[in-house]
Amino acid sequence: MTAVAATEPRRMRASLTLSVGIVLVGLHVVVALLTLVWTPYDPAGMAGGRLEGPSLAHWAGTDRLGRDLFTQIMIGSRIALTVGAGAVGIGALIGVTLGILAAFATRFLDDVLAAAFDILIAFPTLLLAMLVVAATDSASLFSAILALGLAISAIVGRLTRILAKRVLEMDYITAARTAGTSWAGIVFIHLLPNIWPTLLVNFALQFGLAVIAEASLSYLGLGAPPPNASWGRLLQEAQGTVYTAPFGAIAPGLALVTLVIGMNMLADGLRDIGDPTRRRSR
Amino acid sequence: MSAVLEIENLSVRSGETLLVSNLDLTIGENARVGLIGESGSGKSLTALAATGLLPPGLTATGSVVLDGTEVIGARDADLVPLRGSAVATVFQEPLTALDPLMRMGSQIYQPVLRRRRRAGEPAARADIEAEVRRLLERVALPDPDRIANAYPFEVSGGQRQRVAIAMALACHPKLLIADEPTTALDVTTQAEVLDLMAGLVREEGMALLFIGHDLPVVARIVDDVTVMRRGEVVERGPVGTVLARPEHDYTRTLVAAADAFDRALGAAR
Amino acid sequence: MSLISVENVDFAYARDQQVLDGVSFSVRSGTNVGLVGESGSGKSTILKLLLGLARPSSGAIRFEGETFDARDRTFMRRYRQSVQAVFQDPYSSLDPRQKVEDIVAEPLRSLRIPGDHKRAIRAALHDVGLPEDAVSRYPHEFSGGQRQRIAIARAIVARPKLILADEAVSALDLSTRIRIVELLKTLSDAMTILLVSHDLGVVAALCEEIIILERGKIVESGKTRDILAAPQHPYTRKLLASVPRMPA
Ligand SMILES: Nc1ncnc2c1ncn2[C@@H]1O[C@H](COP(=O)(O)OP(=O)(O)OP(=O)(O)O)[C@@H](O)[C@H]1O
Ligand SMILES: Nc1ncnc2c1ncn2[C@@H]1O[C@H](COP(=O)(O)OP(=O)(O)OP(=O)(O)O)[C@@H](O)[C@H]1O
Ligand SMILES: [Mg+2]
Ligand SMILES: [Mg+2]
Repeated sequence: MTAVAATEPRRMRASLTLSVGIVLVGLHVVVALLTLVWTPYDPAGMAGGRLEGPSLAHWAGTDRLGRDLFTQIMIGSRIALTVGAGAVGIGALIGVTLGILAAFATRFLDDVLAAAFDILIAFPTLLLAMLVVAATDSASLFSAILALGLAISAIVGRLTRILAKRVLEMDYITAARTAGTSWAGIVFIHLLPNIWPTLLVNFALQFGLAVIAEASLSYLGLGAPPPNASWGRLLQEAQGTVYTAPFGAIAPGLALVTLVIGMNMLADGLRDIGDPTRRRSR
Repeated sequence: MSAVLEIENLSVRSGETLLVSNLDLTIGENARVGLIGESGSGKSLTALAATGLLPPGLTATGSVVLDGTEVIGARDADLVPLRGSAVATVFQEPLTALDPLMRMGSQIYQPVLRRRRRAGEPAARADIEAEVRRLLERVALPDPDRIANAYPFEVSGGQRQRVAIAMALACHPKLLIADEPTTALDVTTQAEVLDLMAGLVREEGMALLFIGHDLPVVARIVDDVTVMRRGEVVERGPVGTVLARPEHDYTRTLVAAADAFDRALGAAR
Repeated sequence: MSLISVENVDFAYARDQQVLDGVSFSVRSGTNVGLVGESGSGKSTILKLLLGLARPSSGAIRFEGETFDARDRTFMRRYRQSVQAVFQDPYSSLDPRQKVEDIVAEPLRSLRIPGDHKRAIRAALHDVGLPEDAVSRYPHEFSGGQRQRIAIARAIVARPKLILADEAVSALDLSTRIRIVELLKTLSDAMTILLVSHDLGVVAALCEEIIILERGKIVESGKTRDILAAPQHPYTRKLLASVPRMPA
């Protein structure tokens, strides 16, 4: 009786995941860049009849005011990417730095930071966003990104702290110290490469959650104001007409789902090719 | 007598490179088998293949029947129930087998709890904690309460290795695979732990696959021995016969090397 | 002159639990020393102190006559360059995400040692008997014994004066162990080895002097030959009696 272990298909699956991720995310990035110089119609102007269904002229139909939906969805891509990248960027910067600091710190500082992460995680994102708006004195895309970034930084911080502690117990860290490697060297040569793959996957998850969270913030008037609306707002606007013109809800929903799924697949794929133990030797 | 582990024609490859080739090995119920061979000869890979735990990137062909289940080509989900009940492994690396952020007492608690639930034994917290303590005492750990409360990096290398052994023993598996379980132990502790293992294996009716390179140590605990070199079996037989009258050149050099250390010690004596 | 000397050192991880108790010994340049003792007796802790990873609660450590001071940068640089270590567990002592060449190169890079690093790395790998193509592979592709050799290559690559080896050969099979012991012997023309081992055979083969540690105290020390021939302390006798021998 002969059988072959299933490691070969696993690798193929990894590269397939990566390719699909690249295509989905890449598509959104290209569209987002394109909107900076060109859109099919003027996003604010009336381009056709009200609540038209999809046609050759209007791929995703039109909204209540006769504006081209596809144009708005394209712009939504740009906003979603900005929100996701901005929030995850802020969250990663603060979270990874504080998490590593906690892992290295004395018992006291470690406990303080750990408690801070836990409190911030328990804090409702919405309340945080309102506080940030109050503090920055304006409801803008930036305040939404900042609020989401702070929320993410606590999650990332807690994760980083645990991952880093685990790595710092390993003998190769001791070996590096006795070889004369500086603390900075230990962080950049040994620590980050070893915790990075897990963080990356978490970043992708947070990216998706941030895009979705921004949708609910903008519904409450705490996010991007019109005419550069996010998918979340498009969804909310389509709510009242979902029976007569379902496409107004389906199209932005589809855009949201493709970006979130694509981002997760991209991160999974990157993690797999970045991991020497999952890669074939030679 | 049925076999707990039946390996037939097992080969392990990394790409084109053959790491283990056409290996046969059968372990009957209650049998104690040693697997010896030089560093890199494929001993650990054989043990990993037997439990379906080969790292990604390596492929196995042939047949491995573990307690009636074909391991090669099986889905991991089908193998999970086997681990712990049919087979438990003491890995070569005690540190990586333990979670650095979990107290060691809690790490032994889990397998004891699982086993008791399976066997329908009382699984109250106090019962389990008492058993965890007993296990730690049996692997010759001094001060078991401190060790149970400590994290892996807070104890010495040999203490860690004994906790890993206690964890595997907690499962009472049909087959215990021990991959160089006593390399970090000093001779006095090693003797205690080997006796404990031999005793438990006999009492509980477990079969044992003992991997090692220290001939006198292996000889002490197994009945039959298989000698590997460069991924191939070069010799096998009852341990006394193989060590007294080695047939293969490689086995002869192994025996000679062991004798040489004995002599170095003797000369110094 | 003694390379390193430990003077009356006490140490405890927790307040109520003394791990080392008045430990004194010295390692002279050119004389390998074996440190033997039961599991948990404090051998690795002594190495930890010698590596400056922990500070003795009392007593002093001197290197070439100079008192060990982790805050003195020039001293530490010289010290790190002169003292390298090999650890007990070959699995956790190599960074899984670094290639072998980067692992072995670490002391050269971190201490900014001049010279042809590539050649030094190849020479070190050759010394420990690993193939040349090992440089571009990752630790997980090697067996336990091979990993330990990578760790030894890292320790010798900067040609230190003293190597602190914690059970450096216990993960190796006998024939490899003999090769590594031979290698360490050859190397000990140029460097001195402080070997922690529970394997009296290896200590007898490699070290001229031996220190026997029991529960944090030195119970016996001196010439290996003499002590193994006529052990004084009961613990040493017990140790010798429990060495597994080839069945006759
Ligand atoms: N993931 C892997 N990828 C590629 N090669 C590997 C991998 N794991 C092990 N090997 C190679 O397979 C061979 C056998 O390894 P194995 O770990 O089984 O040796 P071993 O007999 O257990 O040796 P030791 O006594 O040193 O632990 C070695 O040459 C090793 O380099
Ligand atoms: N970080 C730590 N915190 C608290 N106790 C510790 C710590 N590290 C070691 N110990 C304890 O100190 C004692 C001495 O440990 P050490 O590691 O020096 O032993 P060892 O002689 O090297 O033993 P082995 O041969 O098993 O490696 C042990 O009882 C151990 O449990
Ligand atoms: Mg092995
Ligand atoms: Mg130790």
